[in-house]
Amino acid sequence: MSVMTSGPITSQNTGGWLRRIGWLERVGLLGVLAVTCLAVFGPLIAPFDPMLRVADAYLPPGATHLFGTDEIGRDLFSRVLLGVRYTWLPGLAVIGIALVIGSAVGVFAGMMGGWVDALFQRIVELFLVLPSTLIAISVVAALGPGLLNTMIAITIFWWPWYARMTRDEVRRIRSRPHVEAARIAGVSDMRLMLRYLLPGTVPALLIAATLDVANIILTLSLMSFLGLGLPAPAPELGAMTARSIDSLTTYWWLPILPAIVIFVMSVCANLAGDGIRSALRGA
Amino acid sequence: MRDPVLSIRGLHVRLSRDGQASTVLDGIDLDMAPGEVVALVGESGSGKSTIGLAIQGLLPAESQPDISGSIRLAESEVVGAKPDALRQIRRTLVRGVPQDPMGALNPTMTIGRQMAETGLTSVEVLDWLTRVGLPDPERIARDMPHRLSGGQRQRVLIAMSMAAKPRLLIADEPTTALDVTVQAQILALLTDLAREQETAILFITHDLAVAAELSDRVMVLFGGRVAELGDTRKVVASPAHPYSAGLLSARFDLDTDRNRQLTSLSIDRDRRRPEGAHCNYQARCPLASSTCRLQRPDLKETATGSRAACFHSDRVPELLLSARTAPEWPEPIASDADALELYRIRKSFPAGRSTLFGKKRHTQVLAGVDLRIRLGECVALVGESGSGKSTLLRIAAGLTQADEGDVSWFGGVPPQVVFQDAVAALTPWLTIGEQIRDRLRPLGLNRSEQDKRIAEALNLVGIDPALAEALPSELSGGQCQRVTVARAVVVPPRLLLCDEPISAMDVSLAAQTLNLLGTLRRQLGMGMLFVTHDLAAARLIADRIAVLEKGQLVEIGEPDQIISAPQAPYTKTLVSAVPRLHAQEARL
Repeated sequence: MSVMTSGPITSQNTGGWLRRIGWLERVGLLGVLAVTCLAVFGPLIAPFDPMLRVADAYLPPGATHLFGTDEIGRDLFSRVLLGVRYTWLPGLAVIGIALVIGSAVGVFAGMMGGWVDALFQRIVELFLVLPSTLIAISVVAALGPGLLNTMIAITIFWWPWYARMTRDEVRRIRSRPHVEAARIAGVSDMRLMLRYLLPGTVPALLIAATLDVANIILTLSLMSFLGLGLPAPAPELGAMTARSIDSLTTYWWLPILPAIVIFVMSVCANLAGDGIRSALRGA
Repeated sequence: MRDPVLSIRGLHVRLSRDGQASTVLDGIDLDMAPGEVVALVGESGSGKSTIGLAIQGLLPAESQPDISGSIRLAESEVVGAKPDALRQIRRTLVRGVPQDPMGALNPTMTIGRQMAETGLTSVEVLDWLTRVGLPDPERIARDMPHRLSGGQRQRVLIAMSMAAKPRLLIADEPTTALDVTVQAQILALLTDLAREQETAILFITHDLAVAAELSDRVMVLFGGRVAELGDTRKVVASPAHPYSAGLLSARFDLDTDRNRQLTSLSIDRDRRRPEGAHCNYQARCPLASSTCRLQRPDLKETATGSRAACFHSDRVPELLLSARTAPEWPEPIASDADALELYRIRKSFPAGRSTLFGKKRHTQVLAGVDLRIRLGECVALVGESGSGKSTLLRIAAGLTQADEGDVSWFGGVPPQVVFQDAVAALTPWLTIGEQIRDRLRPLGLNRSEQDKRIAEALNLVGIDPALAEALPSELSGGQCQRVTVARAVVVPPRLLLCDEPISAMDVSLAAQTLNLLGTLRRQLGMGMLFVTHDLAAARLIADRIAVLEKGQLVEIGEPDQIISAPQAPYTKTLVSAVPRLHAQEARL
């Protein structure tokens, strides 16, 4: 069709990407930005020391203590602010590390093809079929509880997803004419891998990764909920919900408010993922 | 004139893309009588498809169409009609035949059922399939769309459209995706049906020769405005607008002088659509004067009897005369050494199994092909789709392994390839300079020497070296094709393989690309294999033409000898299928 071909032939890079993002998705992107700011600067604006007793126990949410106080009189709002940092930043770190490992393995396997690819595929599948949470729990049990060990455990069962996705994308891009053209032009294998194949996998991986942020937060919270994350006094949102779940009927704000924050972060991350997908559509 | 079927008055259309609205159609007037065939000719971006869509009320909602003026179909007004009314109009008054017939057919339903869904009885279905010239209509009616060839699908769609007895049929480049031999048959079928049923046909094409073959009148569109409107024979014989003249002189057929380069239009496409009170062709027009920059020319009667929007219609004949003096090809650097030697190439592809445990079946694609191309020589390989010409090119390029036979290149250096789809052959996320540089890397040059070679290569293909920093998406399709040529010749190869490089281009681009390739292979002494299904292009570019049919070379020789005295039956059909500009005069 020749309706709109007076300008460039493809629609990418034409500056219209912002328009493709719906308003809900923009809210998500802003939310992600806000949560990241909170995670970095939140403890600075916390009204009270999150670790110390600052008032009576079990004060309901009010003007001084926005989220109320907990069983030993610590300010819940300040604890949640710190909790955002302990949940959000490890989540991003896990995704980042899993992306690096996964895409490196995936590009290599997809590029080599043949038995190398087959071998990598089987290894990746081995990781994918294992019950992930159980493995993570055993890894943490073996290494000892703690934030770092939890992150290692989650990364171990997270990277194969990205590896497989990268590999599939590389196989797809590899059969496209521009890669064949680059081969004919005599581009070396290494360059082909890094400059001609890897950038093409970025949109798909970026979308998958942003959608995974929510999953990671929930998994991290689950690990803390099971008592495998940060040890007791540190405020981690999952752990806070877990420890106070018994008081749901009496002091509802203790489990509910941190849970709502987890929920809001997950929704924002999901919407932001959708937003990035819309922005990259057609690219 | 009898009551017109279609009457367009002062049609203006603005469409938005990525938030920017631009005028796509700027004041179109057109009347069509029942049974009349009008060709709508223009290059990509001229707005010709938009007219077709506007008449059917099908302008895409996402481009927020802003329409003013009037489109009357029989007694119904299309502009501003409610969705219900539009559906009614599309059901009874106007039908469209699209460029891609597969996309318009339901892949999960037999042809017979799809046609029955439009309200035909099974007898009528068979009758229509017969009328559009399909052999064995019973079998076709039982088949799924993917079992048919492209030409057969297009015939089915024409049958479905014409069975509704519309008053107007809009055919938007219905033959560009088809083989030349099939094209000619489809065009003949359309005109016959138009006469029989008194259906008016608006035929949208970029090819003036195709328009000349079948239309009564032609409307030449440029930049959303009518450049010229008139009797097809008159416009073809003596155009009154510089743009029509340019289209005509860039158009090549079997009578074009092959000792010279083609004359070509300036193809610099302005990104912004020129709007306002000036002639919108003036930036490209060799006749442009100060009046053209300040005033918009209206369509007016010219001496030749057509109507043209040009202040200098009387000077257009001069343009046509000067067009005959295009430069000759440069003196070739030729040699007797072989750039490519193919020796008894055989190739077959697996085609599934006949039964679960049966032997694998194979389809033979190439059955022993011998071909030699000398340095500086160009051999054109013609053949219809499925003849194995693309496979032969891939084998010559070393991209596919032959089952049997030998491929040898001059000095053992693999050749370079120019692909059909240049946009797809460039990596979207790397600048064009970067992609050209990748061919220079093995030479061990330093960065500034590389930059110099890149600039030279871009200059050679007529691209501003400043564009080395641009991404492929910032270039037009024609510019992308030039960039792929620049990449191929930045280190001059001994052999250049071209895979249908002009088949997706409109005439002016095609002419420029042929000039470029023809000049470069002579200047650089490259052997060239030019795969095409366009015999006219093959004749112009090549020293020899090789005809491939069912995996065998059935004929090879000098172009004019092949065309004046074709031996193989397939070559004969190919020759007769090439549309000629002055076809109507010859026929009358």
